[in-house]
This record gives sequence, structure tokens and C-alpha cells, in this order.
Amino acid sequence: MKMLHYWLEFEESMGKVWDKYLNKKVHKFHEDKRVYFEDISKPLHIFHRLMGGEKAKELQITDKRYVETSRTLLEKISFLGKEFFLTWQDEESVYLPASFAYFSTKQENEMLYYWLIAMAAQIENVTNNSFIEKNQQAMYYLTKRYSGFDVFYKSASQYLMDKYEQLSFLKSLDEQSNQDLIDDYPNPLWIYPPSITLSYANNVDSGDEELTREEDKDKSEELHMKKQANQIDDKHETDGFLAFLPESLMSIFEQVNVDRCEDDSFDEDALYHAEDLDEITVGQKQANLSARIKMDLELLPDNTVTYPLGKGHFVDEWDYKRQDYLLKYARILPQVTLNVIPIELPRRLKKTVKKIQGELDLLQLDRIKNDRLPYGDELNMDSWIEYMSHQNKSMHHQNFYTTYEKKTRDMSTLLLADISLSTEGGITQELRIIDVIKDSLMVFSEALEKLEDKFAIYTFSSLQNKKVYFNIIKNFKDKYDALIRGRIESIKPQYYTRMGAAIRESAKILDKQQSANKLLLIISDGKPNDEDRYDGRYGIEDTKKALQEIKKKGITPFCITIDLDAKEYLNYLFGQNGYAIVRDGQKLPKVLTEVYINLTK
Amino acid sequence: MSQTYYLPQSNEVELFSAAAQMNLPVLIKGPTGCGKTRFIESMGEQLGRDVYTVVCHDDLSAADLVGRHLISEKGTYWQDGPLTKAVRNGGICYIDEIIEARKDTTVVLHSLADYRRVLPIDRTGEVIEAHPDFMLVVSYNPGYQNVLKGMKPSTKQRFISLSFNYPKPEIEKEVLIKESGVNAQTAQKLVDIASEIRSLDDTDIQEAVSTRLLIYAGKLITKGFDPYQACMHSIVESLSDEEDVLEVLQKLITLHFAKSSDV
Repeated sequence: MKMLHYWLEFEESMGKVWDKYLNKKVHKFHEDKRVYFEDISKPLHIFHRLMGGEKAKELQITDKRYVETSRTLLEKISFLGKEFFLTWQDEESVYLPASFAYFSTKQENEMLYYWLIAMAAQIENVTNNSFIEKNQQAMYYLTKRYSGFDVFYKSASQYLMDKYEQLSFLKSLDEQSNQDLIDDYPNPLWIYPPSITLSYANNVDSGDEELTREEDKDKSEELHMKKQANQIDDKHETDGFLAFLPESLMSIFEQVNVDRCEDDSFDEDALYHAEDLDEITVGQKQANLSARIKMDLELLPDNTVTYPLGKGHFVDEWDYKRQDYLLKYARILPQVTLNVIPIELPRRLKKTVKKIQGELDLLQLDRIKNDRLPYGDELNMDSWIEYMSHQNKSMHHQNFYTTYEKKTRDMSTLLLADISLSTEGGITQELRIIDVIKDSLMVFSEALEKLEDKFAIYTFSSLQNKKVYFNIIKNFKDKYDALIRGRIESIKPQYYTRMGAAIRESAKILDKQQSANKLLLIISDGKPNDEDRYDGRYGIEDTKKALQEIKKKGITPFCITIDLDAKEYLNYLFGQNGYAIVRDGQKLPKVLTEVYINLTK
Repeated sequence: MSQTYYLPQSNEVELFSAAAQMNLPVLIKGPTGCGKTRFIESMGEQLGRDVYTVVCHDDLSAADLVGRHLISEKGTYWQDGPLTKAVRNGGICYIDEIIEARKDTTVVLHSLADYRRVLPIDRTGEVIEAHPDFMLVVSYNPGYQNVLKGMKPSTKQRFISLSFNYPKPEIEKEVLIKESGVNAQTAQKLVDIASEIRSLDDTDIQEAVSTRLLIYAGKLITKGFDPYQACMHSIVESLSDEEDVLEVLQKLITLHFAKSSDV
């Protein structure tokens, strides 16, 4: 037994050595000069836009692809040289290999990424028939326009041809472009056509899918690459293996659509296996709603109570069809959340807050100069001369002084956050829009506290015109502290977005402030809508009217949205300079503060 | 004979001349370094009018525009500001970056910008009627978004508006050759670099490279600087402070002006 064990161990270690030897022999890679996509992904993104690539496109990591090549004996022995990481793109993304180690310098390996990005920006919709031609065209364009790429391409292609003899077909490409040749060996400098991708995703009932995803949230991990996929028809419900005889059981049952042949336990290593698979096959069976069990778990109870402040009051609403106001139509219900637990600033936000506060420190160095005062730091010669030159001095005040005081910005800002149900939606698997809004409110409050600007925070949601909930998080008099943070933390998404009414209510509050400058900052994730007719044009027109009203009152509205399709209606509502779209929701906390500083600097 | 070199892009010269003839004030919008000031200077020469330029800032008061009392041995005397000088003697008063000035300052322009064409000066009790050759021109950069500093609609709606942008590549190339003395090939490279940087939007850089910066780069190159160094100091470093952006811009310059040791 011991002997056998020893023998097995010996065989395994020999296998490892052999494998390493073969790999080294076949791959010819420079492992110590390997460059990883992750390390330079941000500059690559910028470079893609700079090269004129479509701005909305993402850069992602690609999976290996099987290519039938003519292999050397060593490759055949080692089972290597069949799979390749090739660069390709579709409408959404450019897919690049996770790392490169072809060349003997890091600089060249990195340059290969830049080259491929530039190629991808030049080439669109490559197919199997057109891709040699398109790659050649792009290559000519890039080498002609950029002397840097010219130098790189010449040395890189020469080097690759020397290392991989099969690539020498590239030399003859000018004269002939033979499809068969390219199967010899894939060229790492080219952009390849997309592999077979999953077309079935669109057919899934999205509602059901959402629910499943939500429940499995903490279990899910993301596969950071695009796999080749296949699809099977597994809709037949009779395939299940029946493991018991129903006649032997005393029970009443209905037929339930459950597929017993699949193992539904969570596979801990799913991600690992997925990465290793050549192709992923996906069935069409949908999650079975009736087979789910819901139960109450013993979790910490939510002690917060939403407390209404009075019976509410009414505001007008604009009916664009009648071109008139519906007087006292929407009922505002102010409320406040009680029993919240005061909290400190969450650790995840500390870094952002610190960074922003550092920037704000610079802002505060500005001092404001006050002229023509009866007393002060310096004598103002202009005022004195003016006084001396006046014929009738009795009418002139003797205000000759200038002072420099710390800048008081004379700003009142009301932050109005949309907390409708759509904010429950996910930005990533772990992060919902509402979480980002909460983080933003906290970071923003820290920033305003630092600036000593007066501010208030309210959230709103609505159920038709009868109930427009207007939650007070912090009014202008409240001090920003742990309790306010607790209130922000306790925000929950609910109902719809009757934006016009919320704007009018906010304007009333802002109007009472004494500051010279008043700003209404609205954070939203979509169009105004409600379950009655307050949808589509009606909602937009009412919101537009409300915005016009507040502008007349001298309040400046500004909207920050996470709605990517927002441009058209936002332009109409807020004007070209009246809004900002945040494409990466997770950046909202930082962007919000930056926008504010830019707006009020 | 015009001294200032300006290459028209479309019909801006005709429009400006017509506005000057009809005594209409002009508003010019456009990004930094696209040639607004150069255009006004060249128009001043073409029309034979002096140009009084005022660059606005936070602290610019109405007195800085209109004038103030000064002190001399004999007592106090009144000195006209640039605006008053232009109003009295004729000429173009060019108020640059008007958005930077305080709102109360720009209100003095209202009576000059409409049919009245008068400038009341409270401190001297004068009401000056504008010289027939007086012309008011203001400019601003709409790229800087600041709600508290926006131009008052009542001010904006008194002007004929002209929108400027970076010159078309062929024009920009010609300007570069003429202004900096670089050869056509280098000029083309600089224009290519500019057009690529301009394809980035404001999420990456606040404002794209101006023709002015390209001219600086061209001048350094003619002076004998290595093109890569010239572009790094005049273009790349001036555009951003962010490391990732700098890295990419640097890469772009290397790609255009490569030596075999660079890649």
C-alpha cells in the first residue's frame, strides 16, 4: 500500500515536470514579462474612445477559442496549440485576452493591447468572409497614420512569424487572400469574428428571471469572460426520472412542473468549472414559480415607523391637454421616519469623503472682499477719492474701508431624491440604485457640512395624486449628525415618481430661505411617472411646468440621473446645462459633490 | 492691410461686418483657444476700429468698465474706463469671458446693447451717446457649466450670436504652418493629434486641445525641440492632471512621433 502511494506520488510529480517542460517548449511565452488587461484597463478604455471607438462599448476579457490548426509533433503530444485567446467584438463590447506574454519586453506586450484596441476601433462587423480584408485595411491605415504603430507592427509581426512558422502566410497576403491559410495559425494582431453567442437570453421571461437573481444574490459570482454557448431543447416535461412509485404513497397531489433530473444544489465551484469548459450548454427550462417556498425567517425586526406629519396639504398640477392648472390636485403627505438607529459614517465611504474634503479645503482658501464699509482691514483709496471728488459731500457716506472675510457662499441647497420602486433595481449584483443614492446623500452631506452651506434633504414617492409622500431626512434647521445618517440609511424604495408635485413642495421650502442663491438638486433614476395618467407626456409636461415656476422664483434646478436613456427628456425638462447623466452609478457619490462644487464655485 | 492672421471658417466675417454697419452688438460663444480673440482683433483691423479688450473676472466691478475718479496733485479727476473710451471715441469694446463678471457689472451694458446706445455714468452725472463707430462685442465659453454664473437671459437676448468651434482640419493645418512655421507634415500630425483628443468627451477631459496649444507645440518644434517633448509640454500636460488620461495622451504622442526606441 505504501509502495503504491509512493509510486503514484512519483508519477504525479514526473507528470508535472513533463507538463511544464512541454508547455515551455510549445508556448514560447515570456512569463516574467506578462502584462495583464486588468492592470491597464482604464487607460485602454480611454484609448478606445480616443481612437474613435464607439463610446458606449465596454472592454471585456475573452475566453479561449478552439481553432483547427496544423500542429507540431510536440503540440500534438502535449494536447496544446488547439485553443487560442483571440480578440473579437460585438455591438456591446470588445473582448480581449486577459493577458499577453508573446514578447520579450513588457512594453511590447502592453503595446499589443493598444494595437488591438486601435484595430477594433477601425474594424466593424467582421465576418468569416471579410475579416482578412478588414484586418489588412485597418493594419494599413494604422501603420500609415501612426509611425509608432508602424514600428511596432513591423517588429511584432516579424517576431511572431519567426516564432510561429505557421504565421508566415501573412507575408503572402498582399498577393492572395486565401481563407484556408488563416486556419494555419491565428494571428494575435488581428480582430476575429464573434464566436457563437447566446441568442436565447432574450427569450427568457425577464420578470421571473429578475426574481431568481434577486434571491440568489449572495451566491452569484460573475464569470468575467464571454463563453461560447450552445442551447438544447429541454422543454419536455417527461424527461424526469421518477424515483418512487406514487401508488405506494397515501397522498393527494397535483402534477407539478419540476424537473427531478437536475441537481439544484448550488455548485460551489461553478465559476471554476465554467472557466474550464470549452462551451456552455444552456437549457430553456424556466424557473418554476409554483415550486418555490416562501417563509418567514427570524431576522432582526425593522423597528422604524413612518410617522405622518399632519393630514397633508395640496399643490396644483399642470394639465397640458387643458393648458390649465388642476387646482389643489396633488396631496402632499409630509412624513418622518422614527426609531431610526443613529449611525457613524460607513467605512466604505470614508475614503471618498476624505478625498472630497481635501478638495474642498482648497476651495475654502478663497476669501471674499467686502468694499465700502465704515470700518475694516484696509483703507480703500477708490472710495476715498470718490468721496473727495464729490461736490456734495453731505449726501455721501464715509465708507472707506475694505475687509477680507472667509467666503460665505450664501447658498441654500435642497436635495430631493427620488426613491420610487425602480430604484430597487440593481446596478451590479450586489448594489442597488437606492444604495448608491443613500451613499450619495451621505457623502454629499459631509461635503456640504464642510463647506458650511445650508442644506436640506428630502425624498419623495407617490401613489397617484392622492398620496405624494414627502419624507424629511434633514430640514434646513437640523444639524447633520448620526441621526440624519440613520435616517438616510433607513430609506426604502416605494411606489412611483410624481416629480412635479415634489418639485413644487421643495420650492415652497426653498422659498422661505433667506439666501441669495437657491439650488434644487434632484437625484432621479428615470422619467416622472405614476400609476394614473401621470405617465409619459403628462408627467413630463407637469414637471416642466413646475420647473418653470421655480425658476421664476429664482431657484435654480439641477438634475442628476442614473437613467442612461435619459438624454432626450432631460434636455427638454432641464435645458442643456441643467442636468448631468452619471453612467457609472457607483461613481454617483463623487460625481454629485463635484457637480455641486462646479455649479457653485 | 490687415496685420493679424485670421482664416475665416464660414460666413463670420460677413456677419460681423454687417452687424458693425447696423450698430448691432455681437455675442461670440466658443471653447478656449479656438480663435475668438484673434477674430475680433482681425475684424478691428479690417473695419479700421480700435479694439478695447476687457477680460472679466470675479472682482470686475462696473467702475472697472466705466471709469473712476483718480487723485492728482491738483485734486481728483475722472478717468474713463475701456468701455467709456470706446463709447466716446468709437471702436470695438470686446468684453471677454463675460460670464466670469459679476451679474451687477454686466447690467451697465444693457442701455448700450439696445436701440438707445447710451451710457449713463452716475458718478459724473453724464449720459454719453455712443459714437457711430462704437460696437459692443462680448464672448463666453458655454462649456463651463455654472448655474450661479450663467448669463442673464435679459443680457443674452440683446446680441447677434455667433458660435465658434475649433477650425476644420485643413484650416487648422494652414494656421499652424503660418503661425508656428512647422512643415506641412508636422502640421498634419499635430492636427491629427488634436482631432483624436477632441473625440474624447467631457467625462475624460474637461476641455479639448485648443488651436493655441497646437501653435505652441509647433513653435517649440520649429525652435528645435524634439516633437515628442514639444507635444508633451504644450499639449499633454496642459490638458489633464489625471494619471490615466496622461498615460493615454502620452501614448498617443508616442504613436504619432515614434522613434524605434520608443516602442
